[in-house]
Amino acid sequence: MKIFHISTLLLAAAVAHGVYAKKIELLNASYDPTRELYVDYNKAFGAYWKARTGDDVSIKQSHGGSGKQARSVIDGLAADVVTLALAADVDALYQNAKLIPQDWQKRLPDNSAPYTSTIVFLVRKGNPQKIKDWDDLARAGVSVITPNPKTSGGARWNYLGAWAYALKKFNGNEAQVKNFVGTLYKNVAVLDSGARGSTTTFVQRGIGDVAISWENEAFLALKEFGADKFEVVIPSVSILAEPTVSVVDKVIKKKATTEVAKAYLEYLYSDEGQEIAARNFYRPRNAQVAAKYASTFPKLELITIDEVFGGWTKAQKTHFADGGVFDQIYAK
Amino acid sequence: MSLKFTSGYVRSALLFTALFAGANALRADDRDDAIKELREQIRLLDQKLRVLERKSELKEEDAAAASKAAPKITVNDKGVTLASGDGANSLKLRGLVQFDSRTFFGDEGIVNNSFVLRRARIIAEGTFAKNFAFQLVPEFGGSAVIILDANLSLTLNKAFTVKAGKFKLPVGHELLQSDSWTFFNERALPTNLVPNRDVGVQLGGDLLEGVISYAAGVFGGVSDGGSSSNSDFDNEKDVAARIFVSPFKNSQDSPLQGLGVGLSGSVGREKTATALTGGYRTPGQQTFFRYRTTAVNDGQVWRLSPHVDYRNGPLGLIGEYVASVVNARPAPTGAKAELQNKAWQIAGGYVLTGENSSYAGVVPKTNFDLAAGTWGAFEIAARYENLRVDDAAFPLFADPAASANEASTVGIGLNWYLSKAVRATFDYYQTSFDVSSLVPTSALLRQDEKGLITRFQVAL
Repeated sequence: MKIFHISTLLLAAAVAHGVYAKKIELLNASYDPTRELYVDYNKAFGAYWKARTGDDVSIKQSHGGSGKQARSVIDGLAADVVTLALAADVDALYQNAKLIPQDWQKRLPDNSAPYTSTIVFLVRKGNPQKIKDWDDLARAGVSVITPNPKTSGGARWNYLGAWAYALKKFNGNEAQVKNFVGTLYKNVAVLDSGARGSTTTFVQRGIGDVAISWENEAFLALKEFGADKFEVVIPSVSILAEPTVSVVDKVIKKKATTEVAKAYLEYLYSDEGQEIAARNFYRPRNAQVAAKYASTFPKLELITIDEVFGGWTKAQKTHFADGGVFDQIYAK
Repeated sequence: MSLKFTSGYVRSALLFTALFAGANALRADDRDDAIKELREQIRLLDQKLRVLERKSELKEEDAAAASKAAPKITVNDKGVTLASGDGANSLKLRGLVQFDSRTFFGDEGIVNNSFVLRRARIIAEGTFAKNFAFQLVPEFGGSAVIILDANLSLTLNKAFTVKAGKFKLPVGHELLQSDSWTFFNERALPTNLVPNRDVGVQLGGDLLEGVISYAAGVFGGVSDGGSSSNSDFDNEKDVAARIFVSPFKNSQDSPLQGLGVGLSGSVGREKTATALTGGYRTPGQQTFFRYRTTAVNDGQVWRLSPHVDYRNGPLGLIGEYVASVVNARPAPTGAKAELQNKAWQIAGGYVLTGENSSYAGVVPKTNFDLAAGTWGAFEIAARYENLRVDDAAFPLFADPAASANEASTVGIGLNWYLSKAVRATFDYYQTSFDVSSLVPTSALLRQDEKGLITRFQVAL
């Protein structure tokens, strides 16, 4: 009877596997402006996976401020993969909930950042406030739109871009830098929770003179809403933004989606994945694809988080932790 | 007045004032500067209003998001539910109370007219991490408190749910329906022949968008009509399975949409007296058959039950057949025999007030409310049922003077649904017995059982 018992369970398991391994569902928790990118990419990956394995994979998307998304995953959102705006938000999955291993960033090339971007300015057509560089954002009477660095990854890049510029301008004099960034944030009319919200505020609600924006988001606004309404201004210096990706180990183990989830992220580095990133205004890592799209992306001085801020962990703690520099300047 | 309207109004008013003032009060050379200045003021005011509008919009979005994330408490006629904002975790508390009055006619000498607290249950159910669920149901009705159901389940998808613990076996049809919503307040004779609740593990689910539902599991093994006392009593196991097909379930306009046919059964081996039934009972809950206390089970036990269920608007019909086969000895050293007991029923209900008949109960269009002049829903029901014990059971396995060979019951009933949760039932059953002894020692078997059983129940 025991043999019969075990055989029955094994048979049931075999039937279950045979019939239903064909349909797989993944959840990608991403940040705000990647909606269009992943609509294209998910379609391509679905076709690739079908050709490779014969299985149907459907990918659901969840979007929001990068920090908020990380919090949601920590709180139980069963995302198979995260594709967030910055490494600190992905790292929070390790720091706060051990959902991923400590060395998660070493698992994929380029520190798990398959594409990059930078921070630029989106202004209204004709640039009525004559915005040219970060200095102009701190001028009296200029209304600035940027999201809240406490909830948005993009907003943290914006903030650090301004800070890096000021460090250069004031030769590292921290008091002056702090004062400059504080003045700039006094000009901020609305702090949205995410980058897409800020685009809505600036583009659709008509608020502000300049939006500090992801490069991809700014070009997308031109494409969607018309180059006759907006212009992109490239500052003299900006920051190399490296959105990072990771599988969420504890979730994929539970959902038995390890193979497909890993392949989903690895395929971002493929020629097709890089092409899709470039078409959606993300700077590709692949040199050939980057060369093909060179005219799309303006050349400017890009500083990195490591060389100016000592990495994300340090930058996060110094500037964005509760009571950090951002809280100090914004509360004033 | 909305913020948007206000801002539009203010913008227009400012522009008008600016132009009017500019046209009348200023000299020509100052006019351009003044207009420019006023335009800038209007632009700034316009920006301020837009910022206010946007901030208000964001506040609303935040409030909506917070409301989505906030835990929810729902209280209705399905019980009390506490659920996390994302719905992945919940706890549901329900209850069932059935109060019966049993009156029997023409059976002088038997003390059986009684009030009975037939069922009193607190039903705790919940889900956690979306796919895991549990159920715990203690039964306070009867002479002792027992754990009726206690199980955990994992739902992989609609097609695969694994359940482990104590619960109803997937055998029979009427037994699997909630006893709150059967046509009659007591289930028919075939339920005597199917196992009730047992401890085991089961795989079940729905296929083809619910056209096929199935369940199959391995259980400790219990007798006809019996329930496990929470642990297995021997080394043997029973396998039980059921498939129920509703071929027209998704054919919206078909008169056969509510037709379902099923087949269920169990098979196993038992080798103790415990596996023999504690007795077969009439709908009036009086025992008309029991094995001798010396009889023991020894060998294969199997059951087979084809059944049918049909619902069409206010009409509901069910049909069920059960064959139960045991291998037993009249005493541990007696000769082994295979005993085949069989039962069947056909029953129907019609909701006079027009609501739909349903496996999950009738939902009245209006609740009973004297002040409002509404009366709820009324359903009439009729049933014929029969149970025949194998002739070979007499006299070695059962006392022919104390047990009947056969029982047949005609039942008619009226169900009054005062609300979704409250029902009163008025059922009359007449059961005739075929007894081989000319002088039955059981007073019950000397005449037909004529019983009026009424019930008032609250089932959340």
